[in-house]
Amino acid sequence: MRLETMKIVARREFLQRVKTKGFWIGTVVFPVFAVAMTILPSLFLARTSTSHQVVVVDETGRVAPELLKDRPRAKADPLKNPGGAEAEKRTARLAFTVEPTETDTKAQQESLRKRVLAKEVDAWIWITPGVLKGDSVEYRGRSVSNFMTQGELERRLTDAVRRVRLADAGLDPDKIGALSAPVGLKTIRVSAEGSRAEGGAGGFFFAYILFFMLFLGLIIWGQQVMNGVLDEKSTRVVEVLVSSVKPFELMMGKLTGICLVGLTQFGIWLLSLVVVTAPGLITSLASMPDDFKLPTLPVTTAVHFLGFFVLGFMINSSFYAALGAAFNNQQEAQQAAGTMSLLFSVPAIIMPMVINAPSSKLAVVTSLIPLFTPVLMPLRIVVETPPAWQIALGYVLTFGFLIAMVWFCSRIYRVGILMYGKKPTIPELLRWVRYS
Amino acid sequence: MASSLEVRDVRKSYGKFVAVDGVSFTAPAEGSIFGLLGPNGAGKTSTIRMIMDIIAPDSGEVLLFGRPRGDAELRRVGYLPEERGLYRKMTVLDQLLFLGEIHGRKRRDLLPAIDRWLERVELSQWRKSKVEELSKGMQQKVQLIGTLLHEPELLILDEPFSGLDPINQELFRDLFLEHRRQGRTVILSTHGMELAERMCDHICLISHGRVVLTGSLKEIKRRVGGNAYRLVAEGDLERLHELPEVEQAVVQDGRAKLLLKPGAEGFEVLRRMVEFLRVHEFRSEEPELEQIFLKAVRDAA
Repeated sequence: MRLETMKIVARREFLQRVKTKGFWIGTVVFPVFAVAMTILPSLFLARTSTSHQVVVVDETGRVAPELLKDRPRAKADPLKNPGGAEAEKRTARLAFTVEPTETDTKAQQESLRKRVLAKEVDAWIWITPGVLKGDSVEYRGRSVSNFMTQGELERRLTDAVRRVRLADAGLDPDKIGALSAPVGLKTIRVSAEGSRAEGGAGGFFFAYILFFMLFLGLIIWGQQVMNGVLDEKSTRVVEVLVSSVKPFELMMGKLTGICLVGLTQFGIWLLSLVVVTAPGLITSLASMPDDFKLPTLPVTTAVHFLGFFVLGFMINSSFYAALGAAFNNQQEAQQAAGTMSLLFSVPAIIMPMVINAPSSKLAVVTSLIPLFTPVLMPLRIVVETPPAWQIALGYVLTFGFLIAMVWFCSRIYRVGILMYGKKPTIPELLRWVRYS
Repeated sequence: MASSLEVRDVRKSYGKFVAVDGVSFTAPAEGSIFGLLGPNGAGKTSTIRMIMDIIAPDSGEVLLFGRPRGDAELRRVGYLPEERGLYRKMTVLDQLLFLGEIHGRKRRDLLPAIDRWLERVELSQWRKSKVEELSKGMQQKVQLIGTLLHEPELLILDEPFSGLDPINQELFRDLFLEHRRQGRTVILSTHGMELAERMCDHICLISHGRVVLTGSLKEIKRRVGGNAYRLVAEGDLERLHELPEVEQAVVQDGRAKLLLKPGAEGFEVLRRMVEFLRVHEFRSEEPELEQIFLKAVRDAA
């Protein structure tokens, strides 16, 4: 193989793709979209601050005063936990007006109904004495889909009613509250690079994002390779090329070029992840659950991530290149690709188990199967750094498999790109491999 | 002086089907156009693909410029396949740079050459346009530049005129003839006999994977000639086929081109045909390549 020729092919693939608007839109839009998906909804909810006017009619006369006392949540500690402060902001959006019960309850309810319809108030709640024994509180409002507000209302009602019930039972609500305060779990990940605080949910979320970036990236870029090959075949450019570029050079050049495009994009995404997950940025912008802390991305993990991306890319893409070469059009090739993607999607099924028990036998074994290593090994590294020998073995096995895969696929590719006409059968494909 | 291309007993089968069955020929080195002729499916494209090292022959060898063919030799060849195409999303300039580079040329040498070529075929203003924005005729010009850009010493053209509009046909022909004038060789594969006759100095006729006739066109005509006649007559010209001396008769609109069997006399045939035809004209002429081709293919079969 002539490296110079391969380089020319690779440069063409790289430049032609990087020059397109689509590439940059995809590269910029994805992280923006990802960040927006996580931050914006809570941001919007948090900042839509016309407070919710609720009229409280309390037949017991005891729940309403408790409701009006704005008590902070048990766990809220603004210094340690910015989410808590956020939660308080949210409670302030409920504005209660306590109104006494009138003798004619029907008339009172009718007037409340009119006020709600006239948008003077948003809703009313009616607290009957039965509530203290377990009845529900009726909530009547124009909208009943504002679940965040209702959730908050429910929490505060529960709190208020519980205090009344405790007092009735002769207990001190404040004391009970202090004694039954929940215990938080502060998760700290122990790894060779030192311990650092990471939330359970945050760690899961992070591993999840990285996994799907890798998993989908490998499939998407593989498809790009396939379409590139199909395009060369259907426009017959390949006929012109193969006289001066050997099929193997053409295939390796294409893989290298597109791989570099993928690395460029992932590089940008990883960098944006590093920035976005920098301590406190997301959590300060949006209200994450209290135990939700995004881990930071260490450099070694990023390097493994890119290393396995390259290996995985080469394996998947040589396969997709062979598919593109063997078939004549998108439909035929997509059918075959669809069947194979079942195999490629196995890691997505195993993923939750690997995240939950990254050192289990299942995780260790599947992460050493070369077809799955490129996505499962980085996942294990993110969750819990595996022993170095396992990582090394993963690299070695995957690399060996890569060589075999490239050998096999390049032989199909070599014959396929010049073969037109009917869809080849599997025995025919195998004959192409033997043919020299 | 070494030949520019020598094919020695090349064979290729696909399963049971023998596509090329021991083809040998030599294309001279001095400026000439060498016609690789034959009906569709004769094995021309397979032969060319083996010359270009796109497919491997089962046996036999190919020499380029007097040497066993290697990458360096192949880069001195300009190849225009029958099925051709360009990257549709690439600009004309990028496309040509790429094609030049894979033939081992440097960018800085290619840039002025590309400008010269685009100027010549009146495509300068399309330099930065994507190929898909060009008309079919313009794309054909770009394709041709891509073949000639690296100044190949040997041109191998597989049905180069198929699908061309008349203006481009003329442009292509002029450029190929110019190539010959510069002392280089063109291998022209075609089944269009009229065209081959106008352009070729040497020919190699292939049928069913075998060479049936090869040599210089003049010499072949002399060898086969003397037996070809042109006839203008009224009556049932189809009956010409019944005459024992007639090897081949191509009849059309009261005219016929006849090729007589070796040793047959023209006046004998004329004497017989006046029995059923009113002959206006009957004269001896140089045989057309098409006649030679048809005869050779029939003889071989």
